[in-house]
Amino acid sequence: MSLRAAAALVTVLAAALACDAGLEPQPICARGLVGVCGTIRFSGTIPDSTDNVFVAAYASFPHTCNELIFNRQPFIPSSVPYTDSLSLYSIELLPDTYEWVLAVWKKVGNLTLSANDTTLLRVAGYYRNPADSTQPGSVTVPAGSVADSVDFKVDFDNLRPATDFVTCTVR
Amino acid sequence: MHRALIGLAVTLVASAAAAQAPPVEGVVRGEVRDPRGAPIPGAVVGVPGTTRYAFTDGDGRYRLNLVATGEVRVRAAAIGYTAASLTVTVADSARANFTLEPAPLELTPLDVVSTKVPHFGEPSTSVAQVSEQDIARRAVNTVDEAVDKAAGVQILNGQINIRGSTGYVQGLNSRVLLLVDGVPMNQGDRGGINWDLLPSDQIERVDILKGAGSSLYGSAALGGVVNLTTRDVPSRFHARVRLTGGAFADPPHPEWRFRNTMGLHDGVDVTGSYGTEAAAGRISVGARHSDGYRQQDERDHWHVSAKGRWQATPRTRLDVAGSWAVDQYQVPLNWCSRGECDDRGQIFQPFKIDTTERGARTNSRKGYLSAQLRTVASDRFAWQARGSWLRTNFADYRRSATEASVANRFGIEVRAEAHPDAARTVLVGGEATLSDVTSDIFGNHSQSEFAAYGESEQRVGAARVTAGARLDYLAVDAGSLTAVVSPRIGGTIPLAGGTLRASVGRGFRAPSMAERFVHTFAAGFEVIPNPTLRPETGWSVELGHTTPVLGAVRLDAALFWTEARDLIEPQLVVDTTPRIQLQNVTRARIAGVDATVLSAPIPNHLTASLAYTYLDTRPVLAFRPRHLLTLSADYAPAGASGAWGLGADFRFASRPERIELEGFVDPRRVAVRVLDLRASWTSGPFDVRLLVANALNYIYNLVPETLAPVRTMSVTAAWSY
Repeated sequence: MSLRAAAALVTVLAAALACDAGLEPQPICARGLVGVCGTIRFSGTIPDSTDNVFVAAYASFPHTCNELIFNRQPFIPSSVPYTDSLSLYSIELLPDTYEWVLAVWKKVGNLTLSANDTTLLRVAGYYRNPADSTQPGSVTVPAGSVADSVDFKVDFDNLRPATDFVTCTVR
Repeated sequence: MHRALIGLAVTLVASAAAAQAPPVEGVVRGEVRDPRGAPIPGAVVGVPGTTRYAFTDGDGRYRLNLVATGEVRVRAAAIGYTAASLTVTVADSARANFTLEPAPLELTPLDVVSTKVPHFGEPSTSVAQVSEQDIARRAVNTVDEAVDKAAGVQILNGQINIRGSTGYVQGLNSRVLLLVDGVPMNQGDRGGINWDLLPSDQIERVDILKGAGSSLYGSAALGGVVNLTTRDVPSRFHARVRLTGGAFADPPHPEWRFRNTMGLHDGVDVTGSYGTEAAAGRISVGARHSDGYRQQDERDHWHVSAKGRWQATPRTRLDVAGSWAVDQYQVPLNWCSRGECDDRGQIFQPFKIDTTERGARTNSRKGYLSAQLRTVASDRFAWQARGSWLRTNFADYRRSATEASVANRFGIEVRAEAHPDAARTVLVGGEATLSDVTSDIFGNHSQSEFAAYGESEQRVGAARVTAGARLDYLAVDAGSLTAVVSPRIGGTIPLAGGTLRASVGRGFRAPSMAERFVHTFAAGFEVIPNPTLRPETGWSVELGHTTPVLGAVRLDAALFWTEARDLIEPQLVVDTTPRIQLQNVTRARIAGVDATVLSAPIPNHLTASLAYTYLDTRPVLAFRPRHLLTLSADYAPAGASGAWGLGADFRFASRPERIELEGFVDPRRVAVRVLDLRASWTSGPFDVRLLVANALNYIYNLVPETLAPVRTMSVTAAWSY
């Protein structure tokens, strides 16, 4: 290989290596999303029995086991990354107002769509009312748009059973 | 310890006795120039196999005292030039003027142990050099900017990583030893390196020894040694004024904008010197200001440095040097993550900081004084003594707390150099260091180190064998002594078409007082002391070969292998509450390949180099890129009314596979792809340089949540008299 060819090869190599954008802006909400999005801050020790953590929303605050299990949106949620201190999420939802947007911790095990599911699920954290942080905050998803900045915290050391919120008897 | 000192004394006396004083002595003086008549500063001129050597000054002049009368062979060499020899007949005095032909492929003329014993020949351990020309071409403002361009070396937020030796450890230590003219300058409390201790304008050359260097240099030389050689003080009156100004690019995306005005930086350095052949002195003052390239990143720097030499007698020379630098800078601790600032709907804002960290700043003051006395007793024997004092003082102002530390490091060293015959060089020495710290986070403590070392180099035919060892005793707060032995053996042998080199040596690093006694809070955790830390140790093996290929290309390649034990790393200690403690936890194997290709297709005009390092660490160590690549090219045709040049550096480092405290910090990280461009114009005493660092404005980070510099344009104008 001649020196000129070697120089050309090196130039191409440098150009190829240089063609990368590096760090890029990362909007919390994906473009075109209709639903809610935000971040979850994690703290505490992740339990060894963790299967996943997912985000769900309820248009009306659930009062019974059936409402807890069957009114969940999305019905089959996917996990969010929970090993980092901060995770972003976005979930597709129909335009509506949601009274409860929460993160759910799931223990290893199969869900049966029955009250027994509450033994595998814990309320890990939920979006709070900015005016009264002791209460859940409601979120409105506009038609064709997104509700962003729906941020909340998850404390793995303070996972609460669903029965703290819902009257539900496990058989 | 006593036995070691007695052994050292016996060796010194024996060497002195073996020395043969020549009956009559004269002086050899002259100049070293290139074919166009331009002086070559920093060239080494000497009588091979003796204690007689000198470096050329800024005008290319040198003077060799006490050369034996009669026919003498004098040799001159400089980086980037073909070495030359002349035989002169010395009576009272003789002149030997050298004209060295440019040879960009020429290897370094000096071993990196030049601060101990300069001699001609290829080193048995890999050495990277940053020459005065390299420093000038890149118009750098700080020494670490110059070092960062060396092959196989990476600077990570002020910490130097040579062949994977050091990751990023928040400034608590360094596995690389910094020397300034041979004087150790790692901080007394943290063991780290203050790269802003000296203005870059005063640096003539940087030598970087890759691999363990503890057999001569002791603690901290576990991963390598960086020696800064400052400019010698020339005879007659000289002055230099250097002005620098420039601007930082805006963030490349509007959602990252954080200010409405352009960020600027500027600086000025003024140097004056006067000297005769008997004595000379130089003083340099300077200041710099930078608006920074991100939020809360302003910094101011002032410095004064001085150097003097006194040729007390033809046989004895005294060099004194000192520096004092003051830095006041805002601290952009971590970039802003979602919700920590006005994030504009972004998950992270790399140019902004967490609003709870507003107002964080640091005041840092540091300085040193050193004196070195060298006496040439004869052609065969010389001795040298030095004393030094390094003082560092910082205060970190945070909303949560103010932390401060004042540290001193006092050092003395005596060494002797003997050349029993033309084929052998013997070096023996003793060194003592006392460090103390007064701090609200490190406590009040002291650490002392006593050492004796020896090394011998023997020529066996065309081969050269070097063997030596050093014994260090360490004590903390006047407690019991810990002994560390660091042997090393190496050699070079010319083969058809190249030179083979091999070395094996042991290195170590004593824990810094900061590591032992730190008590603070980091990443939300309490950091607790660990006074029982042991020294880190490691065996380094290297096999290298350098050979010319294709006539105009030189290839230098080396396999390296380090087995390190007791590496100190932060550990999460879960007791009642999780806390961080530094512990001797890691046994690691660091292996890889270093390869450098240097080409000069158009002699005198175009030089190009490619350096690549492949690194494999087991277990995977934090902040070590597996691939590190540096491409560099310079084109410099001679002009009728001045000389101009163009150049570029491209640097690639692969994404580190692991970071420390993963899970507690933003793990976002990318590969490094940085292109620097430069242009220069020189005419008579004027020199103007344009540098565009990170010309592509590539946005990246080297350590978590810390943005690396964006595109920075700088114009430097210098006038020299």
